[in-house]
Amino acid sequence: MKIAVLAKQVPDSETRINLPAPAPEIDDSGFTRVLNPYDAYAVEEAVKIKEAGGEVEITAITIGPETVKETVKKDCLAVGCDKAVIVTDPALDGADEAAVASVLAAVLQKESYDLILCGLKAIDDDSGQVGILVAEKLGLPHVSVVTKLTLGDGSLEAEREIEGGKEIVNASLPALVTCQKGLNEPRLPSLPNIMKAGAKPMETVTCADLGLEPPANLVQVKTYSPPPARGECRLVEADEPAAAAKELARLLNEEAKVI
Amino acid sequence: MPNIAVFIEQRDGAVKKVAWQMLSEARRLADAGGGEVWAIHLAPAAGDVAAKAGAHGADKVFNAMDDAFTTYNSELWGTALANFCREKSPDVLLVGSTALGKDVAPKVAGKLGCACISDAVGLTHDGDWTVRRPVYAGKCFVELTPTGGPFVVGVRPNAFVIEEKAGAGAVEDFAASLDGVEPKATVARVEAGDGGKVELTEAEVVVSGGRGIKGPENYELIEKLAETLGAAAGASRAVVDAGWVDYSHQVGQTGKTVGPNLYIACGISGAIQHLAGMSSSKCIVAINKDANAPIFKIADYGIVGDLFDVVPALTDEVGKLKG
Ligand SMILES: Cc1cc2nc3c(=O)[nH]c(=O)nc-3n(C[C@H](O)[C@H](O)[C@H](O)COP(=O)(O)OP(=O)(O)OC[C@H]3O[C@@H](n4cnc5c(N)ncnc54)[C@H](O)[C@@H]3O)c2cc1C
Repeated sequence: MKIAVLAKQVPDSETRINLPAPAPEIDDSGFTRVLNPYDAYAVEEAVKIKEAGGEVEITAITIGPETVKETVKKDCLAVGCDKAVIVTDPALDGADEAAVASVLAAVLQKESYDLILCGLKAIDDDSGQVGILVAEKLGLPHVSVVTKLTLGDGSLEAEREIEGGKEIVNASLPALVTCQKGLNEPRLPSLPNIMKAGAKPMETVTCADLGLEPPANLVQVKTYSPPPARGECRLVEADEPAAAAKELARLLNEEAKVI
Repeated sequence: MPNIAVFIEQRDGAVKKVAWQMLSEARRLADAGGGEVWAIHLAPAAGDVAAKAGAHGADKVFNAMDDAFTTYNSELWGTALANFCREKSPDVLLVGSTALGKDVAPKVAGKLGCACISDAVGLTHDGDWTVRRPVYAGKCFVELTPTGGPFVVGVRPNAFVIEEKAGAGAVEDFAASLDGVEPKATVARVEAGDGGKVELTEAEVVVSGGRGIKGPENYELIEKLAETLGAAAGASRAVVDAGWVDYSHQVGQTGKTVGPNLYIACGISGAIQHLAGMSSSKCIVAINKDANAPIFKIADYGIVGDLFDVVPALTDEVGKLKG
């Protein structure tokens, strides 16, 4: 069985975005970069499937500059992926979801994968589209926001989170699954495994290598702006908690008009 | 003259509120720009949706009635909506950012090869469309312009205000043309979680508990206040990772993003990853015994105190107000 994991490097969740005024770009030069936390569930799930037995080969696939290699090595190869394909091409700087999905689909088409796993969204763009777009481009079924995955013979059963419950979805393989927290607990790489991961195959390709014109964006960025400013906090003080609670309830009702 | 199509999502006959919010906003845009508002409704039976859609601003309601639309299926819904866009050519198709909407919106865009923008909180049209949405879980916002049309926009629940007017839309049948579509993934069954509770991402009020609640047995305090307010109950990741509540309650950068009218954070310090998921809430209340907790920096109202005293007292007071 061949499994592909689509992984993205994103700014660490601690990242503060300092944008005093609207600007056409975010200055991301100082950001610490890590594996997208949702992609870690995808990596872990692939490794768990491999550990459960059988012939399984896991390929991590990502798009990004040279600097993604460290993340791929540490968070994909060192925790159990067998090899990696990295698309590095300056023409893809600022690529939108549709463009990214086209490139990933082109990489995936080079092999025949039985299962494609990815995170439900990346925590930078937060758009949650790429996995589903890739599946659509490849004509594959997908299940999104998956919290439990069971593989059968040529098929899968997945639990997908919905409002107030879950859907249990059956799909034929090959299929694409987008992973949600709850699916598993991603392991951390050990130092010896990080050392050994350096020996695993890591292929770097460009769009030209894939026989692909860099795809055009369908969405243009106009401006980035800071979130709307918030006012001062009004502290409700009273001798007794009950009195403070009463005053707070009154303010929420009469002043803020939210209850 | 922008024509705006709005997808009316319903589950078991109940229409998602975000559909009415989108129709109301589409009406405001169409009134300003001179276009029409269309509702596209996929369901096994029409019910009273057309009348309600009309009252929320739809000029035309397209009913695609088919037994296939009983249980959600990405391929069938995606095909139907893509066919609708091909045939009717709206400028834009609005889809609520619900579990179903987030799944189907990229599917439709993939089929049409068109732009898709997720989780919009603002939409303007002045010849070109501009769509505003949060990125980095709300640490900043971006304004985007799609190239070409029709394009698909996912709309964040509670971003737009519902407005009802007298009036009814013209009702038309729409043939979804699903012959020959054979989905390779199907929903075998739907399992309800703890039923009757308000869904976090759609809630108008959210009460969340953090590590300050000290143990799983005390989450009840949060749930009681939530219940009294008709609110959804959320949690910080600390509470989820400790196994005190299910991850479906987690609010934050790696949990749910919420934007209710009122967010009450109890015993939550206000880590950047938590703020990321709730900072767009209209009114934020913090209850924390540490006056220096960062949560107070974004709160509108706060009580510095012990949540074990304040939360039950607040529940009582809200109960009295609500009668
Ligand atoms: C990659 C990544 C992703 C993350 N994603 C998320 C996310 O999505 N959501 C999220 O929430 N976090 C997330 N976190 C974790 C985040 O960094 C914080 O650790 C977490 O939010 C802390 O939760 P807390 O505020 O409940 O706990 P703490 O930070 O421990 O705060 C507890 C608060 O309770 C107060 N308190 C204690 N006792 C009482 C009392 N009796 N009465 C009143 N107040 C009391 C304390 O003063 C303190 O302020 C993420 C972290 C990482 C690294």
